[in-house]
Amino acid sequence: MGDVLVSARGLEVHFPVRGGGKGGGVLRAVDGVDLDVLRGETLGLVGESGCGKSTLGNALLRLVPPTGGTVTFDGTDVTSLDRRGLKEMRRRAGMVFQDPFASLDPRRTVAQTVSEPLEVHGLRSGRRERAARVAELLELVGLDPAVAGRYPHEFSGGQRQRVGIARALAGEPDFLVCDEAIASLDVSVQAQVLNLLRRLQRQLGLTLLFVSHDLSAVRHISDRIAVMYLGRIVEIGPAAAVGADPQMPYTQALLSAVPVPHPAKERARERIVLRGDVPSPSAVPSGCRFRTRCPYVFEPCDDVDPALQPAGAPGQLAACHLHGVEGTPVTETPEGVTADP
Amino acid sequence: MTAPVLEVEDLRVRLRTPRGPADVVNGLSYTVGAGETVAVVGESGSGKSVSVLALLGLLPARVATVTGRALLQGEDLLTMPPERLRQVRGPGAGMVFQDPMTSLNPVLTIGRQLVEGIRAHGDVSKQAARSRAADLLREVGLPDPERALDRYPHELSGGMRQRVVIAIALSNSPSLLIADEATTALDVTVQAQIIDLVEKLQAEHGTGVIWITHDLGVVAGIADRVLVMYGGRCVEDGTVDDVLEHPAHPYTRGLLGSLPDLAAPAGPDGEVPELTAIPGLPPPPTDLPPGCVFWPRCPVRADPRCETEQPPLAVVGSSGGALPHRAATWCAEEEVPRG
Repeated sequence: MGDVLVSARGLEVHFPVRGGGKGGGVLRAVDGVDLDVLRGETLGLVGESGCGKSTLGNALLRLVPPTGGTVTFDGTDVTSLDRRGLKEMRRRAGMVFQDPFASLDPRRTVAQTVSEPLEVHGLRSGRRERAARVAELLELVGLDPAVAGRYPHEFSGGQRQRVGIARALAGEPDFLVCDEAIASLDVSVQAQVLNLLRRLQRQLGLTLLFVSHDLSAVRHISDRIAVMYLGRIVEIGPAAAVGADPQMPYTQALLSAVPVPHPAKERARERIVLRGDVPSPSAVPSGCRFRTRCPYVFEPCDDVDPALQPAGAPGQLAACHLHGVEGTPVTETPEGVTADP
Repeated sequence: MTAPVLEVEDLRVRLRTPRGPADVVNGLSYTVGAGETVAVVGESGSGKSVSVLALLGLLPARVATVTGRALLQGEDLLTMPPERLRQVRGPGAGMVFQDPMTSLNPVLTIGRQLVEGIRAHGDVSKQAARSRAADLLREVGLPDPERALDRYPHELSGGMRQRVVIAIALSNSPSLLIADEATTALDVTVQAQIIDLVEKLQAEHGTGVIWITHDLGVVAGIADRVLVMYGGRCVEDGTVDDVLEHPAHPYTRGLLGSLPDLAAPAGPDGEVPELTAIPGLPPPPTDLPPGCVFWPRCPVRADPRCETEQPPLAVVGSSGGALPHRAATWCAEEEVPRG
């Protein structure tokens, strides 16, 4: 661990909104993200629905084109890659999707699904070599290689997710984005897949971006955690520090809302219930974007868009004026433009 | 405690499926007192949803055979004529489903859907029903309730929609509220708001609540009593403290071990310990094992009867309280608090 594998600077993904309602017709799904994913780490990306975490994961893999900023993958600018460069990057960066029912082609066997990346990237020549590699991959994810000839409908959700993971690993990637990869699974099966992902990450030296709304799962699997709110990363740091001593009021509220399965602790726990709903990403508040719901809102929050700054444990950063007013004054920049990295 | 709101006795549901008869609920018995919250816990396919749909007569009669007794304030829901059941559903038992978008009609305004429910169960003028509807929306914390009445479901956020569904379920002040994964589709901060709301309304109206969920964290916070379902059977029940802090059934222990703990301290190597996942999958209801339903996945299997003989729900431990802690297993583990 140490050096940076994937890096985003001032990353923006804005979508035009038809009808041009409030907000001038731009939905700011990702709105000025600076993020480094370190080689060999598992970075958990958490946030509530609509915060832009999936779009950010997709933008890092160039599955959606960024409208601003840069993404580099192992030192190369992803946004300017040509076809060949992009293809090589696709091999080195895989994706595991949320819904194991929708992300597998129902008319292709497991073997066909898992061997496609091998064919596309010319990784194994010859049918026999590919079949051997498919068997190896299936075994790696805990499936019996004998199931290679079966179709997705013959599998349970957890088994399908294993097939999806085998496919993502086929190209021997360095980087894996898991987008809500356990969200549609039952609790006991979630644990199986979480254990599998962690084991694979160790065994293969993978760099993992684990995108999820499930804070407990993220806390369990991650080395570091990044918290997203309305298109921006508002806190990032070592998993233990963010989990135990969050520095940004939003993270505090989010963590306090997670129920724990211990009745005595749960009854004693103080929940911070936030007022209202998350503002629409097409009408992001000026200044601090959390100020409309923040229990600590004070004078600079309206006027200065907070930058991530050191707070709490070493390596922990929070975008909050409670740790010193730092950031971009609203008057000097148009709304939504971020501070320089 | 006064007479229970709901008494379920030996509830069984058999469904006709292309793969043969499926025994989805196999002899479930429990009671819900006034103001009490009973959590029914289990994974997909454990029979928890079907068991409450059966109570309210919401399973298609062509495929479902329901037997047993289910007394709602003394009246048996399972033998009730359909007209009577329809009368009972609103003021007797309200239901909140998982997905607020599919339980609301997308082409009718919120107001019409609320007014419909209110007028179906009482001789109320449209005007009076509408003002009652606005009151209900205010009670569930919807901002600007008068205007919300004229809105359509798609104009509201998920949390707001679920508040509307709760308002509809409560519109006839039911004595029993059934919430089937009511907060599963919601974000945690919104979930916290909804749980607070239900608890507040329950305290005010003395409603008995059946809360169906797979989320043991939610259970720890809201339940008085817990019933753990697996393979259509109750495998463990008792007070929330007994079941979650001293789980006796290997399945309950496995389920709790599967949960990543937000507050888990890192081990000496700086790592959070691995989860003790339950291997394998639940048995299909068309092909339940002859002995203990959990036997095929069980890591304990300490008794020769496990494979062949169905264990009865028997008292475990020595809780001594008014409510016994029971588990259906041949291998009840000693009362060791979980780690």
